[in-house]
Amino acid sequence: MKKFLATALARGLLWQFAGTLLGAGLVTGIRALMGLSVNDVFFFTEPAWVMGGFSGVIAFLLGSGAVSDWVKWARGMDTPEHHEEPYSGWEKYFHVSLDHKVIGVQYTVVALALISIGGLFALIFRTELAASGLQFLTQDLNLFGQNGLQLYNTLMSLHGMIMIVSILLGIAGIINYVVPLLIGAQDMAFPRLNAFSFWIAVPAAVLLLMSLFLGGFDTGWTGYPPLSVRAPVGMQMFFLGVFVAGWSSILGALNVIATVLRMRAKGMNAMRMPIFVWAAIATSIIALTATQFIGLSFQLVMFQRLFGMGFFDPAKGGNPVLFQHLFWFYSHPAVYVFVLPGLGVISELLPVFARKPLFGYRWIAMSSLGIALVGFVVWAHHMFTSGMNEYLRLPFMYSTLLVAIPTGVKFFSWVATLWKGKITFPTPMLFVLGAIVVFLLGGLTGPPNATVSVDLHLHDTYFIVGHFHDTIFGGFVFPFFAALYYWFPKATGRRMNETLGKLHFWLMTPSFFVLTFGMMRIGLLGMRRRIADYDAALGFDATHLALTIAGYLIGLSVLIFIYNFFASVKNGEKADGNVWNSRSPEWQVPSPMPAHNYEQPFEVVGEPYDYGLEGSQYVKFIAPAKSGHK
Amino acid sequence: MSHTQDKSSALGQGVMIFVYLAVLTVLEFFVAVTFNAISILLVVAVIKAALVMYYYMHVYKLNNDDGTDEHSYQFKTGTNRIGLWLFLLSDAFVFAGLMTMRINLLGLTRPHQLDQNLGLAVTAVLLVSSFFMNRGETAMSYGDVKSFMNNTLITGILGLGFFLGVVFVEWRLAAHEGLIASFGNPAVGPLGGVFYMMTGMHAFHVLTGLIFLGIVWNNARKGLYTAEKHWGVEAATVYWHFVDLVWIFFYPALYLIGKAV
Repeated sequence: MKKFLATALARGLLWQFAGTLLGAGLVTGIRALMGLSVNDVFFFTEPAWVMGGFSGVIAFLLGSGAVSDWVKWARGMDTPEHHEEPYSGWEKYFHVSLDHKVIGVQYTVVALALISIGGLFALIFRTELAASGLQFLTQDLNLFGQNGLQLYNTLMSLHGMIMIVSILLGIAGIINYVVPLLIGAQDMAFPRLNAFSFWIAVPAAVLLLMSLFLGGFDTGWTGYPPLSVRAPVGMQMFFLGVFVAGWSSILGALNVIATVLRMRAKGMNAMRMPIFVWAAIATSIIALTATQFIGLSFQLVMFQRLFGMGFFDPAKGGNPVLFQHLFWFYSHPAVYVFVLPGLGVISELLPVFARKPLFGYRWIAMSSLGIALVGFVVWAHHMFTSGMNEYLRLPFMYSTLLVAIPTGVKFFSWVATLWKGKITFPTPMLFVLGAIVVFLLGGLTGPPNATVSVDLHLHDTYFIVGHFHDTIFGGFVFPFFAALYYWFPKATGRRMNETLGKLHFWLMTPSFFVLTFGMMRIGLLGMRRRIADYDAALGFDATHLALTIAGYLIGLSVLIFIYNFFASVKNGEKADGNVWNSRSPEWQVPSPMPAHNYEQPFEVVGEPYDYGLEGSQYVKFIAPAKSGHK
Repeated sequence: MSHTQDKSSALGQGVMIFVYLAVLTVLEFFVAVTFNAISILLVVAVIKAALVMYYYMHVYKLNNDDGTDEHSYQFKTGTNRIGLWLFLLSDAFVFAGLMTMRINLLGLTRPHQLDQNLGLAVTAVLLVSSFFMNRGETAMSYGDVKSFMNNTLITGILGLGFFLGVVFVEWRLAAHEGLIASFGNPAVGPLGGVFYMMTGMHAFHVLTGLIFLGIVWNNARKGLYTAEKHWGVEAATVYWHFVDLVWIFFYPALYLIGKAV
């Protein structure tokens, strides 16, 4: 316990608490001097909470020590390029570390924690939806200043945003751990920025959770004004949390691009880079640039609430549709941020388990970039019913349908790679195949939504919810688990339990199909999304009950995974060699990886995915230089 | 580091670019107050931006050959440069978003409360500060710490003048002219919101730039920079010019284009 209180995490959280009180107290003091009101429903007034939330984040960063090297640089002091790791075992994961492998694990574990919280929220409101009528989230309930219906809205909204943040952290975890290993770098290009990107996400998650306790908010994760202008103070904590999490994503993406541009091994030209690295680059281009737009749109609503600036208030001459344009300019490409690394994982692992060369390497590499770039010009397909100018509908419909082409390229490649392969089915491969099937379902239900005439009917129904969960499960959740099962031995030197892994897969996959088909069925029949209740006469009770049961089974399967994950760190079967018989450089050295990665650098001498071809070679390790000059 | 030109011609180039920028700024102003052709204003702004990016921000250095030794200062500086420019690219999207908002909400109008002469004055102050910043960096790349410190000091004073001018003169005058009803209850329309948001976001960047300049000035005083190793100076310089670059587009958007309403 004492050791835990001394960690960077504990210190950061303590400082954040103090910083929040300090900032809020400061504003309260100033307001008192100006003769303005000093307290409100949630003790402090709204401006005080906003200032407090902001200063809390700064305090967290100072307290955890994530910025201490930069402070030293500003004062003209030098710091060693790599600090000696002062901690070992579990402790090093709770302290600021500059090692990309430690940071990758930190990201992943926080992502799993947030997935559990977001999933728990989903199960709570899913339980309410199991039958028509209000069962426990009723009008009489009063929790955190919200009645049952308001709490439903808050949980539904937070489920969305917490899952999004957990996905961003999850992909950052995999990219951080794997990309430097794949390209043969010692670390990321900017190790301190890397640590900063991770640590700033922690107070962001705290802010998001704070919104639950400060009256919540009822806008859904999109935060559209004018509703978001009137929601309780929890709305502001949500905006602030997303804004801060956005910086984690932006700076992480910057680091990935710089790393790949500058630190590739000898001989690794663009067309010999692993596909996962291509995917990481594509996803980072979006995250680096477009993320600013969601930050800006939320910031503008914050300012509208705080200072009455009428950006989105039609009564003052503002334009609420402008918010939707700014918001979706990020939030549509954001789904490509989520799925591109996942699709990269599929292409990366498929040849390993099919023992065949990856079909159409160049096309796959380019399709990732293609999806990313087309993704910048499709945002208004979320707004066909918003009242935007009608002439915008057609171009956005066609640009959206265009996304199907690079995505289709990927599917052809995967099927052709599997064709006549010597396929084996360990757990990672099961999840890869599951990902392909589920993502196909998401892909096929996409074009109908993109078509204006159909979308006008489907907009805001459960069909959209079903489609969205397909793309995210197929594009992120399944590949994420595949990646964790696959690279777990690299990080720990042990394997995860294969029986529990298969149980996880065979429990999750059918349950997910029940969930998504059920959602799409009632959606087509007219079930509106986001609402807490529905009329029994619609006849949706049986399907909703099935959806709830399926939701609980998915939750159970993830619990099995989490148990397997932590139990295998200690007790998993030892596996320090090339477990999957992969050609990738990180598997050519013993696991777990030493602190500064490869002791001998390697050179790329062939194609990355020529599995099963006689005499082909991908990497060759360069013998260390004889004498000590240099 | 080898120089293709000597110190005086490098300084001379800075002067020439400053003259071009000043002439273009005057031309821009003249076009705006006489026949207000938005297309010409746009072309002038793009030319100014290109001059600043090439000659003051040295964007071509991204293409430098930094050798292959990953532990050398030169190689690391090359990596840092890519990181900085990626950051600026990301940051540019914030300003692009604000510009989108301005075009959507105000269209071909601008707030009549804003004084065009005052706009020209603050723009001139920022432009002159960029000139001295360039002189400072050039001096540093020839190892002249003293001259660097003097020029940076002038830059900082001008930058502070710009910041105070916008926040304490321009904002007050605009409020007085009725752009907002009162602080805490602004916006008779979105005009006030757009103006305060755009200038405020820019002023925030000026402020961070000033802090950055203060840090490198102090470290130069401690003798931490040499002709070969002064990445901190280069970063602060590029960032300062970036703030100027943003203003090249914000200035006509707020003060020059469209009809005053």
